[in-house]
Amino acid sequence: MTDTAREEILGRINQALGRRGGGEYVSSSSGTVPAGSPTGGEGHSSAAEAPHAQPGAPAAGGGTVDQSADYFRTGTHEGEELIELLVDRLEDYKANVHRVSGDPAATIAGLIESGSAIVVPRGLDDSWLQDFTGEVSVDAPGQELSVPELDAQAAVVTASAVAIAQTGTIVLDGSPECGRRAITLVPDHHVCVVRVADIVDIVPEGVARLRPSAALTFISGPSATSDIELKRVEGVHGPRTLDVVIVDT
Amino acid sequence: MTFLGMPLLPSKRRDSDPIPGGQGNIFEDESFAEVSHQHLSNQQLRNNIGHATSTIRDKRSEVVAELDDWEALREAGSRTKNHVMENLPEYLAEFEANFTDQGGIIHWARDADEANAIVTELVEANAPILDSGRREVIKVKSMATEEIGLNEHLETQGVDAFETDLAELIVQLGDDKPSHILVPAIHRNRNEIRDIFEEKMPDAGELTNDPVDLAEAARRHLRHKFLTTKVAVSGANFGIADTGSLGVVESEGNGRMCLTLPETLITVMGIEKLLPSFDDLEVFLQLLPRSSTGERMNPYTSFWTGVTEGDGPQNVHLVILDNGRTRALADEHGRTALNCIRCSACMNVCPVYERTGGHAYGSTYPGPIGAILSPLMTGVEAEENGSLPYASSLCGACYDVCPVKINIPEILVHLRNEDVEANHSPVSSQLDGALTGASWMMSDAKRMTAAESGIPFAHAVTGGDQINSLPGIAGAWTSSRDIPGLPEKSFRQLWAESEGESHGGSDGEEDGKSEGEGDER
Repeated sequence: MTDTAREEILGRINQALGRRGGGEYVSSSSGTVPAGSPTGGEGHSSAAEAPHAQPGAPAAGGGTVDQSADYFRTGTHEGEELIELLVDRLEDYKANVHRVSGDPAATIAGLIESGSAIVVPRGLDDSWLQDFTGEVSVDAPGQELSVPELDAQAAVVTASAVAIAQTGTIVLDGSPECGRRAITLVPDHHVCVVRVADIVDIVPEGVARLRPSAALTFISGPSATSDIELKRVEGVHGPRTLDVVIVDT
Repeated sequence: MTFLGMPLLPSKRRDSDPIPGGQGNIFEDESFAEVSHQHLSNQQLRNNIGHATSTIRDKRSEVVAELDDWEALREAGSRTKNHVMENLPEYLAEFEANFTDQGGIIHWARDADEANAIVTELVEANAPILDSGRREVIKVKSMATEEIGLNEHLETQGVDAFETDLAELIVQLGDDKPSHILVPAIHRNRNEIRDIFEEKMPDAGELTNDPVDLAEAARRHLRHKFLTTKVAVSGANFGIADTGSLGVVESEGNGRMCLTLPETLITVMGIEKLLPSFDDLEVFLQLLPRSSTGERMNPYTSFWTGVTEGDGPQNVHLVILDNGRTRALADEHGRTALNCIRCSACMNVCPVYERTGGHAYGSTYPGPIGAILSPLMTGVEAEENGSLPYASSLCGACYDVCPVKINIPEILVHLRNEDVEANHSPVSSQLDGALTGASWMMSDAKRMTAAESGIPFAHAVTGGDQINSLPGIAGAWTSSRDIPGLPEKSFRQLWAESEGESHGGSDGEEDGKSEGEGDER
């Protein structure tokens, strides 16, 4: 039935936009098709039909709609100033920040109670856990921890894909060292390693570094709510403690 | 099967056929002027909302001031959304192809009834019947599902839908309606919330009114549901055409729970939520959080593209919803209302919203954006939606803060005109008569002089006192205001006299008056 709905909605849109042919149907039995519909009756359009490539669309060739927009695409902070900005913004949103030169293993071990059980994604650098004494479960394809098992972990340790200094945002992209989404969600404590090389200044620089088709999670501080009298309270459903370890190698 | 509200046959539509309006919770059933009176007299409500909106206004101003390119970002946001609306069929098709290629399944719903039926069918196919004899789903806060009344519909179909956003939970447990699109329980203060939790959460025990404690109670209450429920329902903040990705912007992590842990995910998204490209997020991920919660970035934002193998729900559905959006799109003076990204900044700055609260607007969409969106989606002739465009002083604060530059005051005026054309009788009203009479009188000096000759008499009758009530429609003005007492003479009469006197020298009274005026400057 929804094929009919699809064609009718697209027909209404064409009519609303004053396009010729909008809403006129050439068939009523075998899947109705609005005459002149830009999508045809296939239900799928090819990339060639994408409006980016259409005359009249400002961004012929893809990319953002208007490439002449004068908002900032790159920031002005770099080096130590950039790291300090990230630290400031992370702390403002109540993440705990730790800076390390070289090997982060001792710092990571110090953040998690020794002897407790933790989960890590399969691609995590082994050396980061060499000082930790406890039970480490590796979550990997075919060996995923169940939700109750994840719930029993004291912490999760992951890397990150990008960190945006201006907003204090860390992005996880499902890569082997970030892991699937559930492992950074169910445990109550997330230890997240950020490499200095992955820090960018502003949002556009961060978006440009991401793989769009990945399952992405943008994290800015621990779970929080402002639902009661607009007062920000940290710690609702996501991990209530976020430790960020910034590693300068 | 036949869905309620669906035509039995796909009848042939023509360009000239009117595009049908939406259904569900987008109607004002009593005129705004009348219903707002009840809310204005609720002092607790006004205190709660006044406190909350002023807090969020300040936060927004601070974080917006941090960005030197804010106006350029607004301009880019506005341009992008206008471009999407102009090319909506192409972007929908592109989105559909990409989402489907990644294993997602798309359903189209013309109206609320059709969307509710689709979701119900999906829930029945994927959520088990529990010992209670009912099915359960968990939900992320979604305006689209509020709009179509999904929870109420599911309830009648044997499905319990659990809201997981803290504010939505407060609303649901309090058997209440959302009054704000970002902070649906903005009309409740901490004491009221504590009372609701203590009464409705069987395991809550005794609570304090500290928001930290209340958030902790919500965590405990929902944790088990998150970890065990098989089906989740969400909305979407963005649909990305060139990748087929969906995005949800949230704070608490309840969104991540719903989007990640269940086996089946059903998302309901309006046709207008699309962005052309993933790169456009560089603009919208700056505009939305700063405008809505007044944060540089909200705690969590999730994107997914169809099914991600081995990560999250493996049965992923999207219901693309019209429900009156095409009707709004057809209004060339109003269609930019569809650019709305549901940030709620316009509510927080609106002097009318701040005093009446969100419930006065009847619809899921309150405040300035609701005052245009609801009548655009239904038509001004539906129920009392024609009264909504008057819920404004046209001060323009909403336009100033809108991150996608929707000119709300202009659309309000346009819709007032629509309302007059559609809903007001061609027979002259008292106001029409009065204005026609005034126009006739004022267009001729002799008539004006004749009319003014009555002023000394009127002055004598009223004794020059303040006037507290007038008859007829003028009574609406004097019901909340006084009119200054009438003078002894009109300005034109005084002028005529002083013209005569200026030839014969000045008069003490006149000098005194001009000095008095000089002092005021």
